[in-house]
Amino acid sequence: MKKLTLFLMGLALCMQAFAIMPGDDGDRLLGVWEPSNGRARVKVEKIGSKYYGKIVWLKEPNDPKSGLPKTDMNNPDANLRNVPLKGYRMLKDFVYQENNQWSEGTIYDPLNGSTYSCTIKMTDPNTLDIRGYIGVSAFGRTDVWKRLAVKK
Amino acid sequence: MNNPFKPCWKTILLILGCWAIAFVSQAQNTDSTKQESSSDEDFSMYDNVGFADEGARRYCSPKIEGLSPAKLISVGYDFQAGYGLGVDTFTNYTNTWEPDSARVLNSRGLRLGFNIPVISRTNLVWQMGANYWEQRYFMEDPDGSELKTAHPLLQTLSENGLRTLGVSTTVFKPLDDKRFLLFQGSADLNGDFSPLGLMPLKYLKYSAALVYGLRPNEKKQWGLGLARTYRVGELNYIPVFLFNWTDPANKWGTEILFPARAHVRYTINPRNMLFGGFELEGQSYRLWNTNGTPVKFRDEDLEIRRGEIRLRALYEFSLKDFVWLSVQAGYRINYRYEVDRLVDGQEIYRAFGLLSDAPYVMENRLGNPLYFQISLNLVSP
Repeated sequence: MKKLTLFLMGLALCMQAFAIMPGDDGDRLLGVWEPSNGRARVKVEKIGSKYYGKIVWLKEPNDPKSGLPKTDMNNPDANLRNVPLKGYRMLKDFVYQENNQWSEGTIYDPLNGSTYSCTIKMTDPNTLDIRGYIGVSAFGRTDVWKRLAVKK
Repeated sequence: MNNPFKPCWKTILLILGCWAIAFVSQAQNTDSTKQESSSDEDFSMYDNVGFADEGARRYCSPKIEGLSPAKLISVGYDFQAGYGLGVDTFTNYTNTWEPDSARVLNSRGLRLGFNIPVISRTNLVWQMGANYWEQRYFMEDPDGSELKTAHPLLQTLSENGLRTLGVSTTVFKPLDDKRFLLFQGSADLNGDFSPLGLMPLKYLKYSAALVYGLRPNEKKQWGLGLARTYRVGELNYIPVFLFNWTDPANKWGTEILFPARAHVRYTINPRNMLFGGFELEGQSYRLWNTNGTPVKFRDEDLEIRRGEIRLRALYEFSLKDFVWLSVQAGYRINYRYEVDRLVDGQEIYRAFGLLSDAPYVMENRLGNPLYFQISLNLVSP
């Protein structure tokens, strides 16, 4: 009976582990990406079963007026205006669907403090179509992001 | 005798315990709504990266930092206060009408706009739009009594007003990370038609502009180009100058596509913007409607060449999220309100008198009123 107990415990842990183990199709989104304007670099990570993207590099990292690192000064929530932009999660809650698409997420634009509904489509392994929209997809704009890799 | 179920209960409890530990562990991981602290993370490793696809290129964006947001849907109302309107002698194939005048109590109308991005790629942005504008004239005789004019132009303006129904397209083609081409084109039906009695499409007026531009940094873009336009009322080919700029502090800027419009912008914050400047408005309006006048205008080939300068102050702000209100007030200066006869639809191109000195059929006079405009807009991401 001890053996049976150990076997069932092991099976339970393995099943749970598979549920959070990386390696499924959606993980192709993981990596560092650059929006078309080249102003920032965004690292996509997986937390639980969802995907998130945080700003890891800024072309202009410091505020031109104060000389200090840029913060999220346009956030409508005054309590968040001192949060540094580096490390800020601008992509949130994406769930992999099928056919190289991730949805149910949001994208935040630090330039105006707005959060939009968003879908991501991988058009090739190094290119993403990021569509931010308002309500329905037709009222939106698509930006093309490129995958980055360490320079050789 | 041992109870055969006792070990099973232990097993079940142990398995449930394992599930609970794993579940709590995963639940903690998925709590990702909080922003991370950046203080303990080394971001320097992201300095030395390049495109994974070595053939990929960077292209310049159609926007610069700090520009006012583009409007996807706009529902507005334009109101011009009172002014005098004097119309010239009109002679058609059978009759002559003497000059006349009226007091315009106000002229006003709806302004609807709709723009939708069709293609948004790094190397091509294409947008389509549609618009409907109307200007209805509410007049009385100069002595304050009810309008009793016999002049056909005053009659059709009073009865039918002027309308524009058009489609437009904008194409932004970046050539590399600094240079771009911008094309804007539109096809408009302009006239005294009623909303349910459109004119034939042969009266469409085509306008276009092509600009070659540079975007040296995130806060400046400028360009030079050529436009075919009816903004001064009649057809013209004129040079255009694009200059969009934002200061380093994101407070001051310009939004200029001269001579169509030029504004200085002051940004209170990204959701509150003030503008001062001007817009040149105008079109060539076909007289077509027989409602309210004995003259069968559609046989006369007449067009009102309407051009006006609007000196104005604007305030645009976010009411809630992506819904913005735009309020503007200013002074409308009449530039042209003459009438041309386009025999057999043949366009007259005067080039400001350089290529032709063809006389107008009617040379009319308009006063310059104050005006007010308000619009509710859904703005683009």
